[in-house]
Amino acid sequence: MDLPCGTRNYDYAKDMAILRTRTHWALFIGLLVIVFTAPLYLGNYWLGVANLIGITIIAVTGLNILMGYCGQLSIGHAGFIAVGAYTAAVLTNRLGFPFLAGLICSGFTAGFIGLIFGIPSVRVKGFYLAITTIAAQFIIIWIITHWSVTGGFVGISVPYASIGGISFKGEASQFYLIMVITAVCILFAKNLARGRVGRAFIAIRDNDLAAEVMGVNLLHYKLLAFFIGCFLAGIAGSLFAHWIGFLSAENFTLTDSILYVGMVVIGGLGTTLGPILGVIFIRLLQQGIMYISPVLENAFPGLPAGFATGVGPMVFGLVIVLFLILEPRGLAHRWGLFKSAYRLWPFSYCLDIT
Amino acid sequence: MKNSRHKLVIGVVALALLIAILPVVGACATKPPAEGQALKLGLSICMTGKAAEKGSPMGHGKLDCIKYINEELGGVEGYPIDVHWYDNSYDAAKAATIVKKLMDEGCLFFTTNASAMMTASMEIANRAEFPGLASFSSPACTHPPKHIYAQMPDYGDDWAAFAKYYMENIWQGEGKPKMALHLLNNSTGYGARDAARAGADALGIEIVATEEHAATTMSEIDSLTRIKGKNPDVIFISSTPAPTAIILKNAYELGMYPGVAIGCAHASFTKALVDLAGADIAEGVYGVIPAVAWGDDVSGMAKMIEYCQRYHPEDEGNTDYMISWAEALIDAEILRQAIKHTDYEVLARGDVESWRATEMNGFRNVKGYDVEGLHGPVDFSNPEDRRGSKSVKVFQVKNGAITAITDWIEAPLVKYEDLEWFGK
Amino acid sequence: MAEFLQYVITGLAVGMVYALIALGFALVWKSSSVANLALGQLVLISSWFTYGMLVQASLPYWLGLPLTILFALLLGWIIERFALRPLVAQPILSLITVTLGVAYFLEGVVSFIWPMSVAALPRIFPVEPVHIGPAVVSQEYIWAAVISLALFGLLSLFFRYHRMGVAMRATADDQLAVQACAIPVTSVFSTSWMFACVVAAIGGVLISCIGGITFGLVETGLKSFSVVILGGLNSFVGCIVAGPIIGLCENLGGGYLTPLIGPGIKDIIPFIIIIIVMFIKPYGLFGETRIERI
Repeated sequence: MDLPCGTRNYDYAKDMAILRTRTHWALFIGLLVIVFTAPLYLGNYWLGVANLIGITIIAVTGLNILMGYCGQLSIGHAGFIAVGAYTAAVLTNRLGFPFLAGLICSGFTAGFIGLIFGIPSVRVKGFYLAITTIAAQFIIIWIITHWSVTGGFVGISVPYASIGGISFKGEASQFYLIMVITAVCILFAKNLARGRVGRAFIAIRDNDLAAEVMGVNLLHYKLLAFFIGCFLAGIAGSLFAHWIGFLSAENFTLTDSILYVGMVVIGGLGTTLGPILGVIFIRLLQQGIMYISPVLENAFPGLPAGFATGVGPMVFGLVIVLFLILEPRGLAHRWGLFKSAYRLWPFSYCLDIT
Repeated sequence: MKNSRHKLVIGVVALALLIAILPVVGACATKPPAEGQALKLGLSICMTGKAAEKGSPMGHGKLDCIKYINEELGGVEGYPIDVHWYDNSYDAAKAATIVKKLMDEGCLFFTTNASAMMTASMEIANRAEFPGLASFSSPACTHPPKHIYAQMPDYGDDWAAFAKYYMENIWQGEGKPKMALHLLNNSTGYGARDAARAGADALGIEIVATEEHAATTMSEIDSLTRIKGKNPDVIFISSTPAPTAIILKNAYELGMYPGVAIGCAHASFTKALVDLAGADIAEGVYGVIPAVAWGDDVSGMAKMIEYCQRYHPEDEGNTDYMISWAEALIDAEILRQAIKHTDYEVLARGDVESWRATEMNGFRNVKGYDVEGLHGPVDFSNPEDRRGSKSVKVFQVKNGAITAITDWIEAPLVKYEDLEWFGK
Repeated sequence: MAEFLQYVITGLAVGMVYALIALGFALVWKSSSVANLALGQLVLISSWFTYGMLVQASLPYWLGLPLTILFALLLGWIIERFALRPLVAQPILSLITVTLGVAYFLEGVVSFIWPMSVAALPRIFPVEPVHIGPAVVSQEYIWAAVISLALFGLLSLFFRYHRMGVAMRATADDQLAVQACAIPVTSVFSTSWMFACVVAAIGGVLISCIGGITFGLVETGLKSFSVVILGGLNSFVGCIVAGPIIGLCENLGGGYLTPLIGPGIKDIIPFIIIIIVMFIKPYGLFGETRIERI
């Protein structure tokens, strides 16, 4: 356990609490204060990046439930996000649904589509399952572009999110909305993982035959994992749709799906913290890369043409490679080590770094 | 070992942080000279990513042109143009954050080169009344008209202009000519389909087949076999160079071409197409380009070629470079009109007031600007018609060179937003 | 009937090209169970290198093409040595994600060295198509088919009879046992990566002859995933059979369904077929069924 010495719990509720020590509470309150005062000192741009990070965290948390907890590899997550985004767009734009109803419907639609493509998981594992999810990605995007309801290749515009009379027009108000929903989703994922369902998922991931022998209903739980993972993707899609305002099927590519898998791995599989750290790392890295070319071009005008453009992707790839070589178990693992080292100080050398 | 590993991890995290902090450095590097008065222009360019094929020459073109304006012409009305450009890697999420970034930095308006990147950023810009200019655009960008403008005719207008030319000059037979469409599976391709749907009947053209291809296609023999079965008189391809080259080659192999007339939309009709398909196969193919040919005798050509040779010799002869150079000239013209009709103080604020001023005083005052002859005259004064230049020229591949065979042909405005099927 | 023949022939021809790239994927998988996400970028960079040799340095074919092969060998060695070897014995998903990093890096290298973004290789094959009855097929595809069959034969023989090939198969099965037999696992890995890069380079040159060198090559590389998985991840026979199956599905399905459903159906037919196959034969057409013990 990574709790400080002398933490004693006298009842079950305390033992199961997420925030168990004063340090936890202090950190948590500090985080809340930082997050909710952010619009005071962040510009629209950084709020926009924060919103994108929040939306991605929801989606990647869903993928983590599917991949990290239940062990079902999905390389079609962008497709499920697209289902959510387009459901929200069609419902709110064409049928006049309110935002919240659209949000919930997006989740359920994406979840059900996920269920359909999850059915092969009953027989197929690992990379063979990956192909059915890749297929899902292509089939979903094809249907979106060729179906009249979704606006086809032209795209579809999406109104502001609004609840009751309040409309979330500005970046700051959208930030609060997205952060609240993100927090709810993270809490949901955390509790899911700690409960009966989460334990069943982990059992399936570690050895599905053994799990079945112990009485875990494989069909039920694998499909449940697909449903929940894609439900969260749908929620993320809906928020993305309202945030970006205009959807085109080109926004949801296979490359994105692969990158989401990368985010889960870099963050750390099968932890709640992992997806959050992974998303923040990759998204900030992407934003940082964006500056490299103009800065280089301005600083050294005489550079050969390819230099400024090529350096961005090169650095991005290099950081991913170096990062994984140094920390193959993900950021969450490193964070755990850091906490243990801090807890054991001044005897940190006792810690066995593996 | 453990220790060094620890340090390495810290090193990598520090590197990542350093990259995240780069914006501060970037802000320092892009500051204008001491007197501090400059006009800010935002560019969102897809220099890398899967559309780099077009994005990188276009990025080079506009950056070179702004260099030229600042260094040789002394900026716009004495104010240097302060360029804020970012590479969106053809990634919609990045494009969406970039447009916010450009708004935060107080740019007066922003431009994109790919229509997909404009559709990803336009609603955010429209909500904030931040004007935008798309050099390559699909009908969705400017219909219905909000705050987004287009440099040139869109992919739909290509079809309309080519069809008009075909009916007047190429079609010799009786009755209605049969046309087949071969479209890239995105807004580039389907812009042409929408135009054909809106205008084929009026022109007296029968659309007998609509086929679609992916950007990564390796063979279109199957789709051309189906088209061949319909026995068309003319095939119109709206795509990018690589797939178009494959279609041309396959049409040649199937013995369809030479035989039918083939017309290409402007996104595909570049020097790259001739290189990829081979000059002998591409010979005689028609295409529309909303600009003059490389090396034509117009006033702006010499300067552009000089800069291209000096800074980006690998883009020599690339129409995309020229179109993008022209876009930067238009950007400068918009800024010139804006600064002429507005106080600098208003524009320097970089908020919604400045954007309104840029749109009303800048864009709307651009009337009949000739873009130094590089493409059709640009006019943003009609609030209904958001296309700057409205005309294209029909070109043909002759002896391996893309040669103009007509003067400017105007593509009429199609009000897609009034058609009930548009976007359905 | 003429149409049918044309669809079949085109489908087979295109399928062989998919199969060619898929072989490179199966090679790496067969020895180390790593899914190589950088496959498309390997195809891209070796095509550009060929361009650099043949056009920019204007070397003759007999010198330029072997140099490309050498380059591919070197590239494979470098990738394995510096990106993958440090991760041996780490979770397999980390290895797969590393190849994603390699993919971005290679993409950067390409725009770094060749900023022109699109180019055509000189015509290696004559342009006149070959007529088979009423159908036509271009020479590039015939060459692609011949070369992928030849490579398939060579690789199969290699894996069956050569010491290194046997060692590769053994490594895929049980790394620990192989190490206990004093087989250098690391050199097995680097050989498989070097071979994979060579196969990707040959595929790259052939595809670039067909459609030119563009960033689209990356997605063509990704498409081979579906071929490999349909065939079975660790099976060369699978690749060489599944490629044409995918090609046939695209062409026949596209040919007869497009008039009914609408344009573009061709692009998703292979995926629908794959989902159906996954229901019936979960480990691909020729994949090994793993027997699990608790």
